[in-house]
Amino acid sequence: MNINATLLAQAVVMIVFVAICWKYVYPPILAVMQEREKKISDGLEAAKKADDSLEEAKLAFDKEMDQAKAEAAEILEKANARASQIVGDASSKAEAEAEKIMTSASKTIENDTNKAKEELREQMSEIIIDTTQKILGDEISPEKHDAILKKAAEEL
Amino acid sequence: MAKELTTQSYIDHHLTNLTCGKTPEGWSCNPYDVEQMGFWAFHVDSLFWSVFLGALFILIFKMAMPRSVSADTTPSGLQNFVEMSIEFVEDNVQSLFGSVKNKLIAPLALTVFVWILLMNLMDLIPVDFIPVLAGHLAFFFVGGPEHAWINSPESFYFKVVPTTDPNITLGMALAVFVLTIYYSIRVKGLKAFVAELTLHPFGKYLIPVNFILEMVNFIAKPISLGLRLFGNLYAGEMIFILIALMLFFSSIPIGTLGFGLHLVWALFHILIVALQAFIFMALTIAYLAMAHETEEH
Repeated sequence: MNINATLLAQAVVMIVFVAICWKYVYPPILAVMQEREKKISDGLEAAKKADDSLEEAKLAFDKEMDQAKAEAAEILEKANARASQIVGDASSKAEAEAEKIMTSASKTIENDTNKAKEELREQMSEIIIDTTQKILGDEISPEKHDAILKKAAEEL
Repeated sequence: MAKELTTQSYIDHHLTNLTCGKTPEGWSCNPYDVEQMGFWAFHVDSLFWSVFLGALFILIFKMAMPRSVSADTTPSGLQNFVEMSIEFVEDNVQSLFGSVKNKLIAPLALTVFVWILLMNLMDLIPVDFIPVLAGHLAFFFVGGPEHAWINSPESFYFKVVPTTDPNITLGMALAVFVLTIYYSIRVKGLKAFVAELTLHPFGKYLIPVNFILEMVNFIAKPISLGLRLFGNLYAGEMIFILIALMLFFSSIPIGTLGFGLHLVWALFHILIVALQAFIFMALTIAYLAMAHETEEH
């Protein structure tokens, strides 16, 4: 084991290498590492924030959705009510119309019947007079017995 | 001329550094001149691998993060590895250093950890690969009978694992020690630093005793830091060399056993390689944390 100037040379060499490492090698690597570390932690934080806001948005969406559903149900109910009302109105109107038509039709029939009866009555009396004339000859003239004939006709 | 290959020479060869230094006749890399070089000699192989692997560390970490990389690009491949290492170091600094803000500690810890890990990993390359290759290359390019230190490929010493050289580990510990003193003085002030070394544990009337005790404590830290790493890796390397000897000098059964042992030891050594790098880093952080402690104890 012989100690010589190699020892001093090595000490100097070491100081030189340490200085190079300290000045040129270490700082840039450490800087990149620290910057990346910061970026990653920032990114994680941002992701957490995004998660939170997503949750919030979901809640808001659910709320809005519920509201919309309620509104839709309400509208549907209203529409149904209105529809049944319309149908009801229409059917009652139709019924009334039908009634009216029936009434007027039966009136017309009654009038016609009456008219026909009247005509029949008049014709009957004429026939009777004619026939009676033919039987009795000229003893009975329509002019003289008008009142009787009329009474007869009314009695028919 | 190549020496005859014996167990002794094989081990010696693996444990000797390529040493260049100043001799009275000028600069020389001749191993026979090492005695004359004294202190001003350099282990060229250790320093070469140390600088090479340090540069490799800087290059890998620089390449993994080109300018085009920003916080928005998805990390992949090498970048993941680099970021993992940095995260690991940051965690350790955080747990050992606490709230004290010092921008140098983490890069220092990263450099120490990755660099020592790379140097230790050289131990897992089979012990003869690189020395033999380097020997032949050196002999081919500069060798010749006129150079005593490289008159054959085998005479070229080339130690591969820098952390098995105490100069390297103690050198790094020394650098940490210097930083510890620098920060101690800067954070606590010179007065408090000197007081810490002289006024404990016996108060102001026994300053010399205090100083001796504290100094032992103070000096023991870098020495143990450097020697722990050296000892572990040196022992590991030694066992690899001994296992390699089984392959070269013995019969087939022992050679086969050697292969098995080599595999087992290499697998186990991976643990030591990583563990020692981690321990050196953790202690570096801890010593510097101590330098930042201002409270009295």
